[in-house]
Amino acid sequence: MRPRKLLRIARWETTTGVGGVDRGAIAVVLAAIAFVGAVGVVGFVGGVAIEDGIYRVGVDEDSRFHAPAAEDPSLAVVEPDPAVVADGRLETGQGYDIHVRETADGTRLYLAEAGGEPTEKSRAAATAFREAVEAHNERRMRLESNETAAFPVVVTLEFVARDDADGAEAGGDGDSGSGGSGGGTGDGSGSGDGDDTGGPGGPSDGTGTGTGDGGVGAPSLGAFDLFGTADTAGSPSDISPPFPFQSLVLAFVFVLPLNFLIQAYGSSMLAERLDRRGELLLVAPVSPAEIVFGKTLPYFAAALGITTVIVAGLRLLGGGAGPLSVLAVVPLALLFLATTFLGAMFARSYKELTFVSVTVSTLLTTYAFVPAVFAGTSPVAFVSPLTIAVRDLTGAGVTVGQLAFATGPATLVAGVCFLLGLGVYREEDLFTQRPVHLKALDALAGRIRRPRSLVLVVALMVPFVFVAELLVVVLLFVLPVAVSVPLVFGAIAVVEELAKGVPVYAGFVRGRYDRTLGAAVAAGSAAGVGFFLAEKLSLAVQVVGLPEVAVADAAFQTGLGAGAGVVALLAVAPLLLHVVTATVSAVGGSRGRRGFLAGLAAAALLHLCYNVAVVSRLV
Amino acid sequence: MIDVRDLRKEYGGFMAVDGVSFGVDPGEVFGIVGPNGAGKTTTLKSVAGLVEPTDGVVEVGGAPADARETRRRLGFLPEESPLYEEMSALSYLRFFADLYDVPRDVADTRIHDALDRLELDHRRRPLGDTSKGMRRKVAIARSLVNDPDVVVYDEPASGLDPLTTNYVVEFTRELADEGRTVVFSAHNLYHVEEVCDRVAIMNEGAVVAKGRLEELRERYGRTEYHVYTTVEVPEAVADNGHYRRVVEGMDDVRRVETAAEERGGEVADIRTVEPSLERLFLDLASADDRAEA
Repeated sequence: MRPRKLLRIARWETTTGVGGVDRGAIAVVLAAIAFVGAVGVVGFVGGVAIEDGIYRVGVDEDSRFHAPAAEDPSLAVVEPDPAVVADGRLETGQGYDIHVRETADGTRLYLAEAGGEPTEKSRAAATAFREAVEAHNERRMRLESNETAAFPVVVTLEFVARDDADGAEAGGDGDSGSGGSGGGTGDGSGSGDGDDTGGPGGPSDGTGTGTGDGGVGAPSLGAFDLFGTADTAGSPSDISPPFPFQSLVLAFVFVLPLNFLIQAYGSSMLAERLDRRGELLLVAPVSPAEIVFGKTLPYFAAALGITTVIVAGLRLLGGGAGPLSVLAVVPLALLFLATTFLGAMFARSYKELTFVSVTVSTLLTTYAFVPAVFAGTSPVAFVSPLTIAVRDLTGAGVTVGQLAFATGPATLVAGVCFLLGLGVYREEDLFTQRPVHLKALDALAGRIRRPRSLVLVVALMVPFVFVAELLVVVLLFVLPVAVSVPLVFGAIAVVEELAKGVPVYAGFVRGRYDRTLGAAVAAGSAAGVGFFLAEKLSLAVQVVGLPEVAVADAAFQTGLGAGAGVVALLAVAPLLLHVVTATVSAVGGSRGRRGFLAGLAAAALLHLCYNVAVVSRLV
Repeated sequence: MIDVRDLRKEYGGFMAVDGVSFGVDPGEVFGIVGPNGAGKTTTLKSVAGLVEPTDGVVEVGGAPADARETRRRLGFLPEESPLYEEMSALSYLRFFADLYDVPRDVADTRIHDALDRLELDHRRRPLGDTSKGMRRKVAIARSLVNDPDVVVYDEPASGLDPLTTNYVVEFTRELADEGRTVVFSAHNLYHVEEVCDRVAIMNEGAVVAKGRLEELRERYGRTEYHVYTTVEVPEAVADNGHYRRVVEGMDDVRRVETAAEERGGEVADIRTVEPSLERLFLDLASADDRAEA
């Protein structure tokens, strides 16, 4: 691949891409983005202000209640007029919702009345005023040098992880014993590896003021706190159980732009095909790879550019974001683009492309978004590259192994998608209305020359299998083990047999080898061996401790925790399984489509029996 | 310059081209004619390196047709010329010149020359806003930005008005006069007859006849005799004060002469008419069909 050609095509793609959009439309979109951005920033910095000054409070400037009222944005302080309170009553329509009067006997609060009863608004104003005073008091007490005097009673809250029957660790990696932001009792009982950044430890004599944020299960929010969920100091009633709002929002912010980008990218790729415009590029002295990657580059650069802007924005707002966040989005952007590219190669119309791109958006957003929500609370989170970004933003550390695990499968799948798409980036596949399944077979058969080619082709399918299995784990891990494990066994059997069987069948359909029993056995064996070798990649799940989640262990069958004999058996038995089941599919495939479907079903059933009989007893 | 040997191309069990062989010499104009579905386009795309043959050899200048160096020296014009409609003619042609590694100054000279020769105005207007004829001319100009030795045109005058069609046909001839090797297909056999040095007639994926037009006429054609008589004879039509009867062979001419004399008249004139390419094409295609039946 020649960089100069690639860049030239990228420049052209950018020109035609921008040129294809009306300038007026661009201006409107930019204006809309600027408006939303401005509103967002104003809202973020100043908060949502729809209740600002909604209650009018009459309180004297010299009153000790003036400051609490003035500090609360929902209260509008107005100069009190003693004359409006007649006979100990404040009538509505006098310009006050509540009126504070301090006398030698004490303080009296008058609520605006109508018909002899306080109005609903004045009651609400009184509640807001009371809360404002309480908050003011608490702020003042926090400033006290003598914390014991300010807070004579300490309550320690511990967020305990759900008791998982299988001992799944859900506690994440909060501080272990170092105390939290307020110090607390200094005995936080987190069971993780303690790599979060808590606040300064408080006195360990049980006289601290806070509750500590390093408890089990509570996500460490670090320096950046989008929703104030890290504020665990205060009255017990103010403290909410942890919910990963922050992870949720950050994951959403990173994934959202990718969904828009792939729409433009998919349309551009399909436009080359539908009106045969790409034909002239194929005649030019440039390779399909240069064309494809040249056209992809602007969208990839845009994805990284947008991510960089988001990261910079979050950093400005106090997040701990850095290059690692951008790096984490790279495999995700590649995955979005690669799957869209492959979809655009298979789609025969914009209607089909819409279906493809919506499917890609939904599946990949689920894949990226759902695990990232559990960043810091479950190892399942490391299935998604976004988890790396979320942890980076929240100041939590990431090991090299975690980074590799989170980003590796997505990158590999993206690479294989591009490879398969390039297999059909030729005249007779690009510009014909061949059915999708035939194109899929073409894409696979393009890499097959003889039965032994299947070792590599099937090995290339393993990243897909890996990601599909991770997706199954993500979707099922919340279910009870009694339900999720059998479902995982079934899903895994089907996914793996499809990955082995379909390439073998593609070879038969495209006449890469004869439809004989000998060729079927050779092809099936090659497919089984290829799959066995490549699936050893799945052992990478151990890097992040995923097998500790029962449903994940059922999916990847590492045999972790079992004896050496069992581990050895689990290392070799799959070879036999994959060769046998792939051969069953291959023999069926050699008899035609119906034979293949029957063979595939038989292979999946055999695989399921193996999972139930062997794996479930050994693991 | 172009060597096609036993070319076969199969699409999902359908043999689009079956054993086609021909060669084209430098500076020669070679035409491929045939009905729809005859395999002309597939053959031309194989020569342009777009379609990978199922079997056989396609070489241009001694190198495989799909080699990068071959594509660098070849100009291809597909039957339809979809352009990037957001681009202007100039930016479109410059883009392709870049892909062919043509230096910018050389490209600009070449592009303006081509556009001048093709009498193309509105060079900065988006291509989507131009007429079909103009877009076809831009497509032709694109096929020349790399100054190709070999030009492969598939129906270059397809869908154009008669004026533009004549222009394109003449332009194709000029390309050959400049020493380029030209291969092209056309539905309008008159244009092929006008421009081509040699032709191949294809039907159902195979070449049913090829050679110089004179050779084809000699081999496959039937010379027609237009016999003009002073009196009406059977099957004759009135023609400019005489009666004309079209026959094949001298025996038929003698029979017309006898018939005229029996009716008190005589033969006024006998003209020999060579068969047109269209006549040859129709004869060969129908012969092919009869043989199949």
